[in-house]
Amino acid sequence: MNQPVARLTIAILLTVTAVFAEDKVPLQTKLPTPLFVGTPVPINVPNLEPPHKGKRPDFMVPAGTTNLARGKKVTASDNEPVVGTLDLVTDGDKEGDEGSWVELAPGKQWVQIDLEKEAAIYAIIVWHFHSQARVYRDVVVQISDDPTFSKDVTTIFDNTAGTGKDKAYIETYEGKLIDAKGVKGRYVRLYSNGNTTNKLNHYIEVEVFGKPAA
Amino acid sequence: MANPPPKIRWAIFIALALLALAVRLPQLGERPMHTDESINAYITGRLLAGEKYHYDPQDRHGPVLYLFAKPVVELCGAKTFSGLTEAELRLTPVIIGSATVLMFGAGVEMFGFIPCLIAALLFAVAPLPVYYSRYFIHETLFVAATWGLILSGGRALKSRSILVAALAGFCAALMLAGKETAIIHFFALAVAAVICLWLAKQPEKIPPAKMLLTASISFLAASILLFTWFGQNWSALAELFRAIPHFAERAGGQGHEKPFGYYLSILDPQFLFFIVAATGIYAVICDAVAGTRRAGLLLAIYGVLIFLIYSAIPYKTPWLALNFWLPLALLCGFGVEGVWLQIKAATGRWIAAIAIAAFILVAGKQTKTLAFDRPADERNPLAYAHTTEDILGLPLRIEEICRERQLAQPRIAVVAADAWPLPWYLRTFSQVGYWQPGQETGAADFFITPPEVSGPLAERLGHFRPEFFGARPNVLLILWTPPETLPKHE
Repeated sequence: MNQPVARLTIAILLTVTAVFAEDKVPLQTKLPTPLFVGTPVPINVPNLEPPHKGKRPDFMVPAGTTNLARGKKVTASDNEPVVGTLDLVTDGDKEGDEGSWVELAPGKQWVQIDLEKEAAIYAIIVWHFHSQARVYRDVVVQISDDPTFSKDVTTIFDNTAGTGKDKAYIETYEGKLIDAKGVKGRYVRLYSNGNTTNKLNHYIEVEVFGKPAA
Repeated sequence: MANPPPKIRWAIFIALALLALAVRLPQLGERPMHTDESINAYITGRLLAGEKYHYDPQDRHGPVLYLFAKPVVELCGAKTFSGLTEAELRLTPVIIGSATVLMFGAGVEMFGFIPCLIAALLFAVAPLPVYYSRYFIHETLFVAATWGLILSGGRALKSRSILVAALAGFCAALMLAGKETAIIHFFALAVAAVICLWLAKQPEKIPPAKMLLTASISFLAASILLFTWFGQNWSALAELFRAIPHFAERAGGQGHEKPFGYYLSILDPQFLFFIVAATGIYAVICDAVAGTRRAGLLLAIYGVLIFLIYSAIPYKTPWLALNFWLPLALLCGFGVEGVWLQIKAATGRWIAAIAIAAFILVAGKQTKTLAFDRPADERNPLAYAHTTEDILGLPLRIEEICRERQLAQPRIAVVAADAWPLPWYLRTFSQVGYWQPGQETGAADFFITPPEVSGPLAERLGHFRPEFFGARPNVLLILWTPPETLPKHE
């Protein structure tokens, strides 16, 4: 390829990228008060969620991305939570104190958020519990347009023991940020299967960052 | 009020002791083993293996618990540490807790029938004594020995019997060989006795030197026998003195610091017992002023003194509150008796009886919640730094993987600064090693570590699969399993 043609190709590529690329901005969320000094996670052990020092690195999302879950209706596999109510999952309160979380029955349970209309979802942050070091088991996050999650389901996170591709992680006040990669859907469902302190399932808050689908 | 005839009295207290036993026995093995229980189990296991007891002044307390537990677990059929079960070990405090209830029958002459009846009833069903009577630690035995000292000491003073004085000395030795904190109780009892004798202004009540000498010799002889494990380990006596600076340091807190009022919240969050006990203190002061039944005053002074001393010490744990239950329960009994005697009308007595029954029922309901429904729940104030149920899954998971991979005798390396209670939960595996962080472990099929892993071990575990397990609230462990593709014993 001669030089003028190469220059022209690069110029065309850059122009196309600029046209199709959206402006990216750091994801903004207000973090709750830390309630314990986080248990350090292993250093240089690739099978575990790597630690980060200080603030979580910026996660870039398209400009105009907002938390679509705030105040939205929440349903669950356990309609009569042991403690709290399901609306706590999207009420905006991320503090770790008692009264901020909903406690679902032991074993595998799910909560589901109805975003009311289809949206392109870029990130989900989930706070299960952060007043002590805990690991929630078999965490799975899925997106679908089907409220029953029987078809067209996209799994964006899965750390199910033995089969999941994602890593187990220790809960902290920063919550678990999951890259949703712009998957489109109206409903978000989150599974868990007890934790390392007891068999119960807890949710303090779930934030779903995205933009309504065009 | 006249005490019932001995036969009726003992029938009542035997019934209450059986009630206590019935309340304490169900689901005995279901609560996970607390770290302290697992350490005590390990020591019992060593005795089963034929080793002699060796007193360790670094917070292992004396030999009495193991002395009583060994024959009990042997009667249950246990022969080795790995063969022990939670229920077999906890049977010892259950039996002793129920025997403590029976001992209230021996306190009737000293304290009166109603106070002993109410105290026995509370001991039988109230949350704190029931919970810690199902816990394989020293407290229940210690309280039983304290009660034995008070009863035999009181009886020796009254009867001037040398034999009973020797029994009092023996009970004091059991206390010391149960927990070194017995010194606090000896001090409080001595102060209370001196005050009562001074108030009595009756020099003839002071026990003769012969009795004091007998009790002292009995105390010393029994203490030496117990701490030296019947003459097999004489260095224990020097170790006992070395324990003093250690316990003085420990009293500073060592991570267990709590505010002065901590025991109030543990003993009686609703202040129901305290109100009744306050009435009891008023009643025993009135009795003492009138020159009758000074034993109640001694008990009140002793109770208040140990409460203040333990509350002033920064180091606090909920099971230490069991020490206050003996005086608290009896003072509640004095309170109930005082109110009962004030009520003359039959209707009023019926109302009082119904109120007492309701009081006991409320205590019983709390017991159900704390000792049976949520015995290891972190929201249970009695389940202090308790092992979580989650850890029960760890040995099961290892067994499951071993079955999948046909590993008959897995080698397990535990690398942790504080591995307890893992030795209990891994007791059925024959090849388990424990290392401190930074030590070289050698080859293993499984590793167990806390989340803080660094250095060569972290590199070595790079291709292992991690699974989290909770040991206690805020304390996590990781079970590291090699990938299935690795050859066995790699």
